Amino acid sequence: MRAQKLGAGLIAQNQSALPPFILYRPTSLAEAAALTQEHPEAVIAAGCSDLVAQFREGCEPGVLISLQHVDELRAISQERGVLRIGSLVTHHGGSTSPEILSSLPALAAAWGSIATVRIRYRGTLGGNLLARRFRYELPIIFSALDGHMHFQAGEDLATLPVSSLWDSDAGISGILTSVSVETGTLLWYGYERSMRPVSTVSLAVRKHAVAGLAITAVCGSEYRRPFVLSHAAEASTIAELDADFVGTALAAQLPDEAGDYAGTIAYRRHLVSVLTRRLLARATGNQKK
Amino acid sequence: MSLDSQDPRAAGSDEPTVELEFELNGSVEKQAVPTSTTVLDLLRNGFGKRGVRSSCERSVCGACTVLVDDLPVAACSTFAFDIDGTRVETVEGLAAHDGTLSAQQRAFRECGGFQCGFCTSGMLMLTTGLLRANPQPDREEIREWISSNTCRCTGYEMILESVERAAELAREREPDEESS
Ligand SMILES: Cc1cc2nc3c(=O)[nH]c(=O)nc-3n(C[C@H](O)[C@H](O)[C@H](O)COP(=O)(O)OP(=O)(O)OC[C@H]3O[C@@H](n4cnc5c(N)ncnc54)[C@H](O)[C@@H]3O)c2cc1C
Ligand code: FES
Ligand code: FES
Repeated sequence: MRAQKLGAGLIAQNQSALPPFILYRPTSLAEAAALTQEHPEAVIAAGCSDLVAQFREGCEPGVLISLQHVDELRAISQERGVLRIGSLVTHHGGSTSPEILSSLPALAAAWGSIATVRIRYRGTLGGNLLARRFRYELPIIFSALDGHMHFQAGEDLATLPVSSLWDSDAGISGILTSVSVETGTLLWYGYERSMRPVSTVSLAVRKHAVAGLAITAVCGSEYRRPFVLSHAAEASTIAELDADFVGTALAAQLPDEAGDYAGTIAYRRHLVSVLTRRLLARATGNQKK
Repeated sequence: MSLDSQDPRAAGSDEPTVELEFELNGSVEKQAVPTSTTVLDLLRNGFGKRGVRSSCERSVCGACTVLVDDLPVAACSTFAFDIDGTRVETVEGLAAHDGTLSAQQRAFRECGGFQCGFCTSGMLMLTTGLLRANPQPDREEIREWISSNTCRCTGYEMILESVERAAELAREREPDEESS
């Protein structure tokens, strides 16, 4: 049992009564940003599919700012090799967006594979990232793509890599407005979730800034933060990559702390190498029967 | 800048509320509710819609599924303020005023798509949402949608058949509706 902040009495955490809050429903980003400045302690709400669970886990915001009427956060654009996705884009919207399907269809496919139909219509990109739950998949997907999050706090703007979500000192604050992905140097992307929740692997191959290929694999699991693994290969095309070698090299980087209740570190390294090899085989078209 | 709810500390009232106006099974409703009210509580306690079942209260089981602007939503995990200005449908709105069952209801009855019936209202609303999104879903799509709702009794095969049959019945009914 616990007491509610605004005086609605005592409730158990799994009871339906939730503590009331002061609600704001801004209709523009400028208005929403001003509200966050005025109420720095406010909780930001998008689809609320995770927030209601947070409430049931004990979250009691005094002030809640709902972004549902800030339509500009639903924009998706592709300009000069940068795909920019508004934070309020839902899983359904992201996986069926013409802009994403034409510029990065593998992202649409990965996004289309997560969650259930009710959540797919309601849950958003911003909510999936900023719930900061290990088991959620968009941080894994967008970290491998080297995605960047764009925030607005009052008048201040900030950009952070999606992979910094798990750094305690990342300085995440304000409204996530969009996530950007640079598509110009991206050669291939794929996501493997067949072993979820034990291990998922999100893998991107880019042209290296100087020469060769840069391979980024992000390994996720139910109980541990995602880990970013990377490998630089001298090959100039994906077909030249040695999938066994790359898979083993990436899996070896997984730190011991990645072992969890669902699998020992040895098992998780094995899974990462298998899933990485599978993805690379798909990338090169050399998939074994 | 809009202050949507009453600040109890400023106004001296007990708790902050939000004014809602929405359509429920075809009739316009207006109500002021505490800001943290869920759609589940609003529909069950405020409007007596007991077909909106309460079970996991975590968006997982689908027993509380209602349609909001044609899309399936977990009433247990949606705040009432988010249905302001929308069209909400519950299982109570499926049958015609004279009691004639909808195609979905007839199909579930015909194919035995239920046993204890606890999950049935959520399944019917999910089926309604699916058939609006795609009147001719294949088994794969039906499976994808239905997998978001839990049934403890049927083993799902008869639910899958019920949804297929509902699609057939809905298509059969269309010419009648057009001529009436
Ligand atoms: C039954 C079920 C199945 C699911 N399955 C999957 C799955 O298979 N894979 C998966 O990845 N996820 C899954 N999810 C999680 C789901 O994807 C998330 O709940 C959803 O994406 C959260 O989005 P939301 O808009 O509802 O977030 P909200 O609940 O509104 O917010 C979540 C958090 O993010 C913050 N936030 C939201 N938007 C912003 C913003 N723009 N700026 C700053 N902060 C913000 C909020 O303050 C809050 O802390 C599942 C959830 C459920 C209930
Ligand atoms: S009670 Fe809402 S999904 Fe289970
Ligand atoms: S019929 Fe009993 S839970 Fe589905």
